[in-house]
Amino acid sequence: MKRRRMNQVPLFSSAGELANMLVTSNLIEAAWAKIPELQRGQSALPSSVQTMVDHPTPKCTIVVFAPSPDSTQDALSQGGDLVPYPKFDFLCTKGCPSVSINRAALTLFTPLYDHLSGLKDELNKREGQLIITGQSLGGSIASLFTLFLLSSMDKESKCRPICITFGSPLIGNFGLQHSHWNSFFLHLVSDKDPLPTLFLPSGRSAPTSSHSQATAYKPFGTYLLCSELGCACFDDPDFIFKFLTVASSEVAGGLQVVVDYGEILRNLKYRAICKGPRLVGERLTDPFSAGIVMELKTIGIDPAKHNIDIGRMEKDARDLTWKTNKASEAKKLNDRKINMVWLEWYRKKAEDVKKDYYDCFRNERFNIEAKIQWHMEDLTTYWEDMVAEAERKPQKEGASFRTGWLQAGTTYRRMVEPLDIAVFYKDGGRDYINSERSQHYKLLEQWYEEAAKPPTSEELDSKKQKVSVLLTEDSCFWAHVEEAILSCKSLTNANSTPELRESSWNNLVKFGEYVMEQIENYAVSPEIFLKDSCFMTWWGEYKVYIASPSNPCSLRFIQFIDFMKTGRYGVYGRSEVP
Amino acid sequence: MGETVGNLIGLNDEVIHPAANLAVEAHNSPSKQFLVKKIKIRHDLSSVVVFAFSGSMLPKDWSGQPTFAKTEIATGEFRSLTSLNDGGDAVVNGSFLRRFKDVIGNLSKAKELKEATEKKRQVVFAGYSSGGPIAILATLYFLEKQTPSPRCLTFGSPLVGDRIFGHALRREGWSDYFTHFVMKYDIIPRIMLSPSSTEHEQILDYFKSKFDRKNINPAPPSGFYLTVMGNASSVASYEACRLMGCRNPSLDIIKSFIELSPYRPSGTYVFCTGNGNLVVVKNPNAVLQILIHCAELGESNTAEVEKRSLDEHSAYLSELKDCLGMQAVVSLDGGPATATLNDLGLSPQAMLCLQAAEEFENRRSRNLENFRKYLEKVEVELEKMRKYKENAQISRLGYYDSFKLQNEDDDFHANVSRLELAGMWDEIKEMLKEFELPDDFEKKREIIDLGTKYRRLVEPLDIANFYRHSKDKETGAYVIGGGPRPKRYRFIQRWLEHDEKEEFGSRSESLFWADVEQLGIDIKKKGYVQEIEERIQQVERNLIAWIGDRSLDDDVLLENSTFVKWWRDLPPQHKPKSDRIEKLIGEMSERVTQGTKI
Repeated sequence: MKRRRMNQVPLFSSAGELANMLVTSNLIEAAWAKIPELQRGQSALPSSVQTMVDHPTPKCTIVVFAPSPDSTQDALSQGGDLVPYPKFDFLCTKGCPSVSINRAALTLFTPLYDHLSGLKDELNKREGQLIITGQSLGGSIASLFTLFLLSSMDKESKCRPICITFGSPLIGNFGLQHSHWNSFFLHLVSDKDPLPTLFLPSGRSAPTSSHSQATAYKPFGTYLLCSELGCACFDDPDFIFKFLTVASSEVAGGLQVVVDYGEILRNLKYRAICKGPRLVGERLTDPFSAGIVMELKTIGIDPAKHNIDIGRMEKDARDLTWKTNKASEAKKLNDRKINMVWLEWYRKKAEDVKKDYYDCFRNERFNIEAKIQWHMEDLTTYWEDMVAEAERKPQKEGASFRTGWLQAGTTYRRMVEPLDIAVFYKDGGRDYINSERSQHYKLLEQWYEEAAKPPTSEELDSKKQKVSVLLTEDSCFWAHVEEAILSCKSLTNANSTPELRESSWNNLVKFGEYVMEQIENYAVSPEIFLKDSCFMTWWGEYKVYIASPSNPCSLRFIQFIDFMKTGRYGVYGRSEVP
Repeated sequence: MGETVGNLIGLNDEVIHPAANLAVEAHNSPSKQFLVKKIKIRHDLSSVVVFAFSGSMLPKDWSGQPTFAKTEIATGEFRSLTSLNDGGDAVVNGSFLRRFKDVIGNLSKAKELKEATEKKRQVVFAGYSSGGPIAILATLYFLEKQTPSPRCLTFGSPLVGDRIFGHALRREGWSDYFTHFVMKYDIIPRIMLSPSSTEHEQILDYFKSKFDRKNINPAPPSGFYLTVMGNASSVASYEACRLMGCRNPSLDIIKSFIELSPYRPSGTYVFCTGNGNLVVVKNPNAVLQILIHCAELGESNTAEVEKRSLDEHSAYLSELKDCLGMQAVVSLDGGPATATLNDLGLSPQAMLCLQAAEEFENRRSRNLENFRKYLEKVEVELEKMRKYKENAQISRLGYYDSFKLQNEDDDFHANVSRLELAGMWDEIKEMLKEFELPDDFEKKREIIDLGTKYRRLVEPLDIANFYRHSKDKETGAYVIGGGPRPKRYRFIQRWLEHDEKEEFGSRSESLFWADVEQLGIDIKKKGYVQEIEERIQQVERNLIAWIGDRSLDDDVLLENSTFVKWWRDLPPQHKPKSDRIEKLIGEMSERVTQGTKI
């Protein structure tokens, strides 16, 4: 549908409504219910962290973590610095190449690792709802355990987890903003609770925490921020950081205070069915600012005093609304299909005149190349976005995100990259692979290689049958051909230095071996052997040269020369063995 | 301002109060299923016949298994109560449905009803409290039967159906026949937004003893308000999130952990503010928000409001007596009227919710407007397709086979058009799924027509493409339940069938080619077994019927088409309709010859 002019459409902020929905439902209460009990029962037990697995209904499991007060104090006194923790490197993204975790949380988590591994496997098999919860550092363990669990879950898993923490400090340097995992975390933070703000720069932090590292912490998940007046949900990490910073400068009370979130919930539930205070005037012409200002004031943030940019929040919300529109998403996908159909058609046109696709495009044989290029650009923009999105996700999740479209991406790469190469060399370019090749092609190829398994003999057989309709596998094949043409020129040029001649010779041997390998694997389309193709043009020139006596070479190279000289390429792809 | 309730809902004001009276009386007469009364309108001396239903305060008549007594309703007498796309059937409260079914036999046979129909008198079904749901379902029952449209009036009725229920009512254009009066604090219209619980039972018990008059002043329960309104508020907040376009990624996960009541208001709501003013609201999302927000706790303490929420359930007669006929009604639709909202005592947050509800409707209308511009694009592509089809006919092959071969540039361009059209209809499909188009979109004549034209012209090409690439080997036949057939075609076909009141699956002429292709494949696989023979006969019958009513174009009969070649190859004993079809093929051949001569 015609692009809607989104900037004319009123926008709303639903931070308050989402929070209300949460506190009036029983979800958070159910998560909280067992925590005080476990905390009370703890002093009698020797273990430093209590774990409880409860089944309030057959389809619901609750896992609670509660460290003893002593071990909490101990851990906190270890400090708030970030420690590299390679076991969680599955959370790495392009922006966060190595994962570090808060020392206090790790102090409690590491000794539990083996025990939790077992628990994780057990829960993974279970069906239905799984609530993982804890208060303060218990919540940190809950978060780490949930990440651990998510990293091991596959598509078939019927376990649906959610992690709910109460007043937990920030955990690590990794963000989850671009990850689906982000949506599994819900953190309750009261503005009266000193713990969540513990490791922040302006906070009255634990004795040994290092301030220099503090800003490296990244909140993730949704935060349910509460005050006496009410609550609101936010998931923008920058804003959450801001809230925690503001709260840390205003919160009173020692670290020994354990905030009773049960009491806070009761108050919020009551507040939810009260008419809220009149925090703004009657003017509702801009519903987004009206809403967000009310929500901010409810949780004790004054936009003017605390320097909050409402305009930017609105812009972000607008961008996101546009991005998450399902109908336009479906349209986009369909448009890419149309682009591909044009390219396939171009390929068929080439086939109809018995020319190869690459050559036709390089020499603009059909006078529609400009139009085709337009479709190529659409496709490239789309795939660059997809690759970038995959890269922003945590490694493990990125991999499963990719499996859905890697095949389509590979077809795209094999269709479009040769045409990019054609344009590049036509314009006089040299050394495409090292100087020009776009990052997204490299990644698409790398991911494809990682996912590919070596073909079985049956698969190789069926490939042999079908090779005439397949695309050349190596999307850089034509770049190799172009380089071979250039090498051939240097070799035959009387003015070339002996050094250049030698390196050109070597390049050509390597090229020959490379082509032979492709042929043996049925990895090139027979169209490369069509008359007048760049490849055959090259061969025409090279053949003359190679006829004269030459240096000793590898077996494969000899096979290649033989394959070409005897004309066996003529039957390649015609179901007989070449 | 300045209109009475009667004007706004299209019923004479003189009817409303007597109907309310009868509804209350009927509710408290458990020995009779319903009461009937004829009301004479003074100024034109016409009569209105009111049927009012008895009620029950037994918990079993309000709740049941599964939670919320959720029951899918779209069968037989309620065939319209379904989504025509992916939304499934409407859900109603099964206990209310059961009580309705107990009544409908006698109601259908009532001589007063027959007489009213014969004398073309307006029929009104009315219900107070738990009599309300029966009135609602009875009205729907007769609307489905296309009897002269009855009206429905309820007073303090609990909610009956879910979102699809309301959507279907609005799609069919029935929504305006339903009017529900609700007091500002009355707990009963809100009670179904909360799951059944001990609090529910306390409330029902209280009313039971009150209505039974065994106990003139039963002790009111307490402590239920926070629970019931808390749950109701959860529903309202969830809907507000949707209306406001909540972008938080956790919303879906959270929703999967919470079981919210499925029930939503539908029809026209009249809120009685308690000070003589009435507020009329039709936007269903706005109604839900007002239901919750106007009963929020303000300055008064919880116990006071709680008591009021019980007392007001019995206050309809006195309230309506005071304010009916007065020109103090405000309709909210078309912008919040701040003055009257003050009567409802809505908070600024509630006003934002109302604004979001209004904006949602505006967005749907805008989307429809955009769609109209879109229609031109669809027409342009369809015109290209039509030309393509025409040209292909000259070649005596037909566009189906020409497309399947993909030899010419024309075939390629048709393929691009096919994809362009698929993109447009898929986008519409997504928007319908998200309720982003007006509720009556799938009932609009021009849209059903355009969709049908598209389906008949282009689906054969999708089928050609499917069998050209032998996709049946990966996914199974083109037409199997939930199979590879694109959903856009399923939906468009359903619009037509629904509109023509035909069985689902009866207008599958666009699937003719798929039947032929699949039969060709299956004959090779299985030989002429019984099942195959039946399918061949079905194809022959369909061909004759669809060519006859012109829903299938005659180019399937072209000499070189896949169909004719396939059919000619069939052994004679498997072609019972041989003569008739040969004749059709011959006629076609003649037409083409003449056509090319010209």
